[in-house]
Amino acid sequence: MPKLSRRNFLLATGWVASGVTAYYLFKNEREFVRPTLVRPNEEAAAGWLQIKSDGTCRMYCPRMEMGQNANTGLAQIVAEELNINFEDIELIYPNTNEVITLAFTAGSVSLAVYSKPIARAAANLRESLRSRAASITNTSVNDVVDAEGGFTTPDDQFCRYADLVGDELVVLGDEELLNVPLYTFDATKSHKQIGRTVTPFGMRGLVTGAPVFTSDVPIEGVLFGRAIKPPVRNATIRHLDTTKVERVRGLVKVVRQDDFVGVVCETPSSLDAATKAIEIEWSLSQAINQQTIDELIDIDNTLAKGDLEQTLEVESHQADAAWDIDLRFEIQIQTHAQQEPRSAIARFVEGEQRLEIWTGTQDAWAVKRHASDDLGLDEDQVVVYPMRMGGGFGGREHYDVEKDAARLAKAVGKPVKAQWTREDEFTASRSKPASSHRIRLAANAVNQLTDWWHAYVSGHVFLSRDRLPGWLLPFERHNGDLGVVRGAHPPYEAPHKRVECKDVDFPIDLGVWRSLNGTPNTFVIESAVDELARQRNIDPVSFRLSNMSVEASRLSVCLRKVQSIAQRQQVPLSPGYGRGFACGIYEHNSYVAVSADVYIDPDTKTIQVQRMCCVQDVGLAINPDQLRAQIESNLVWSVGTALLERLEMGDGLVTSQNFHNYLIPRMGDTPRFEIEIISHPEIPPAGAGEVALIAGTPAIANAVRDATGVRPLRLPIELNHT
Amino acid sequence: MYINVNGTDRKIEGAWQDESLLFALREHLGLTGSKYSCGKGLCGACTVHVDGQAVRSCITRVRDVEGRSVLTIEGLQDEGRGLHPLQKAWIEERVPQCGYCQSGQIMQALALLSDNPQPEESEIVDAMSGNLCRCGTYDRIKTAIRSAANLMASDRGQSNA
Repeated sequence: MPKLSRRNFLLATGWVASGVTAYYLFKNEREFVRPTLVRPNEEAAAGWLQIKSDGTCRMYCPRMEMGQNANTGLAQIVAEELNINFEDIELIYPNTNEVITLAFTAGSVSLAVYSKPIARAAANLRESLRSRAASITNTSVNDVVDAEGGFTTPDDQFCRYADLVGDELVVLGDEELLNVPLYTFDATKSHKQIGRTVTPFGMRGLVTGAPVFTSDVPIEGVLFGRAIKPPVRNATIRHLDTTKVERVRGLVKVVRQDDFVGVVCETPSSLDAATKAIEIEWSLSQAINQQTIDELIDIDNTLAKGDLEQTLEVESHQADAAWDIDLRFEIQIQTHAQQEPRSAIARFVEGEQRLEIWTGTQDAWAVKRHASDDLGLDEDQVVVYPMRMGGGFGGREHYDVEKDAARLAKAVGKPVKAQWTREDEFTASRSKPASSHRIRLAANAVNQLTDWWHAYVSGHVFLSRDRLPGWLLPFERHNGDLGVVRGAHPPYEAPHKRVECKDVDFPIDLGVWRSLNGTPNTFVIESAVDELARQRNIDPVSFRLSNMSVEASRLSVCLRKVQSIAQRQQVPLSPGYGRGFACGIYEHNSYVAVSADVYIDPDTKTIQVQRMCCVQDVGLAINPDQLRAQIESNLVWSVGTALLERLEMGDGLVTSQNFHNYLIPRMGDTPRFEIEIISHPEIPPAGAGEVALIAGTPAIANAVRDATGVRPLRLPIELNHT
Repeated sequence: MYINVNGTDRKIEGAWQDESLLFALREHLGLTGSKYSCGKGLCGACTVHVDGQAVRSCITRVRDVEGRSVLTIEGLQDEGRGLHPLQKAWIEERVPQCGYCQSGQIMQALALLSDNPQPEESEIVDAMSGNLCRCGTYDRIKTAIRSAANLMASDRGQSNA
């Protein structure tokens, strides 16, 4: 297939043949093992935005939607630069044929990575139109001033964008974009679209039941398929008996390909019956249960063997310091449990020459690549239509339900819809690893930290067999797993310091989960610091502030502020009440501090989180209301992480199978929120989707310590285990 | 076999008569607003009304609602008056994040307000505790329910006047 030039590319994808379009690149310098990497080069436009000949604006959304509403924020930036209303922008979600490979949507970096390139492209559109206005009206460019939806000239002529855009297609390529003023990041400018509360795209469809998710897509003649999930990763089929399934009414086909077994049926209930009628005995290459996992991550055993491979920080470390704190923490496996079990529809068209896949995925291009590999097609023969996700949280970056649908569609020669059952989700979602930590701290007579030693073992996050060939894993592991180390660097100074870890291969699938190891590590750090302060009978907030590193000044501001907000209300003096604080820096540039007020029922020992205050600083707040929504979501998750969630392992299987034995927060678990956002107009926005969780979780643990006098050493917290 | 869905009699054909109400609605009748999430009546994403009562359609057999009236999220807006006050409040408070559970939340809230037009906070929590939202939008759901209750009260006031 000939390579399309950029302009032809636009035409071939149905982008109208007129109007002024700008495209932009983005640079993502961080390199680690990730499914779809985009290297900025002249061919790699990340997105397009356009003023059409009628003067309206439309943009391709560079991000997959899962409720984070990043595209809404990006559209606000475009509106600000173009002096138009956010509501007048049309958003288009491209399929994998319509834009060049985009990096996967993860890490809450959408605004951080895309805000500047998008602002630059939009500002260039504006300035090129200003030049046209100047030339049409025979005015100097400097005299053509911004007006809503266009420009005005000194003699009061109003030039609408529609008047300036001709019928020809004009493209401003990234290499042609100039360093024009960006209104978005200009702190002296009063913003009209940035900082405004807008209704995010798609709300009406969501409340009226419009078809917006994968399984809602109407496909003529679609059949229902399901692959049988092995009880744990790497289980192989020892024995398969399909005699009973042949008698199930509505069965279309049983499909077997090595250890992949699936069924296709005419209706969903016949699919349930067929799945139940298949008899499979699985063999496991190793015993897997809670005990094997506990042993794998046993930090004290690993320390004794001197087996910690990764040294993240070391500074004149003294192993035999006079430790004030010497604690061991254990964190259990948690899983995504997003409300939508993942779903995909696959359809072959043009005589099996082309495969279409509809799926809610964080990485449509990885799905395209894997599907073409899996089914022996060229990448050009596969098109993926990314759909809105009913929750992602890091769990939807792989080729999994898409594999089920594509293989089954191929086997029956008809379109197939596959949706995992809730039980499949608990069994096979790539959960957050368990980890085991030993932390030791020492401080001097004036309460300054002198020694810091944090060592831990965690299951892998990025370094899984899904992403890397098995032979490469040991080498990559030596270089470190960036998901495992996230959040391990403390924001506190200590002249003697050692932070080290090891990541181990788990017998079940693991992967990315909201904040990766940012939450476990911050929980450990903030619990230890809190404990030291309490043992010395000093205010835990003051202790943190006086030990905070110089680079963490924005964090100090958040922490001071959240303390003053929390103090507007007294903690009742009667038994059972407590207040805790915690703070942290996520990915170097998102700062958060949280307080939690708890009440522990003396009879039932039930912990109720009654109130949480949060102050967060992620730079420029593009859409404060949606920042707030993400904070609320994170604080609710911190209740789950602190008190409820644990993926339970039995003998050779995951025993948590549905919402009755994997508990997530309910409405009654939601505390009252007091949230404050610090906005810095001059600092480009950083991620917010997984920030407050890191501090919310230890704030609750510290409140439990405050109420009970006993330090919680496990997540989720069990009062008989503290 | 017929069921009445959103005011219209709909025929349920052949093998679809053995289906759950949820999948009969979604896959046979093309009403995909009600969602599959847990399959066991544990999360509320599939909530619809049968004869005015909120039910979990994933564990209700379509056969069991033969001849009865089913209301789904698609039937909530009124041709003349547009969006239902609950839908308006949901947009106004910007409740949805991923949005997958929200049709079930709205249908559950409708059942609550039908029984109890001005619920207390604790009554809202009790009525909604079986509807899970993994994005954690509960606080906004509470606010939207209170706001819809007020909207509905003022609508009633106007229609009485």
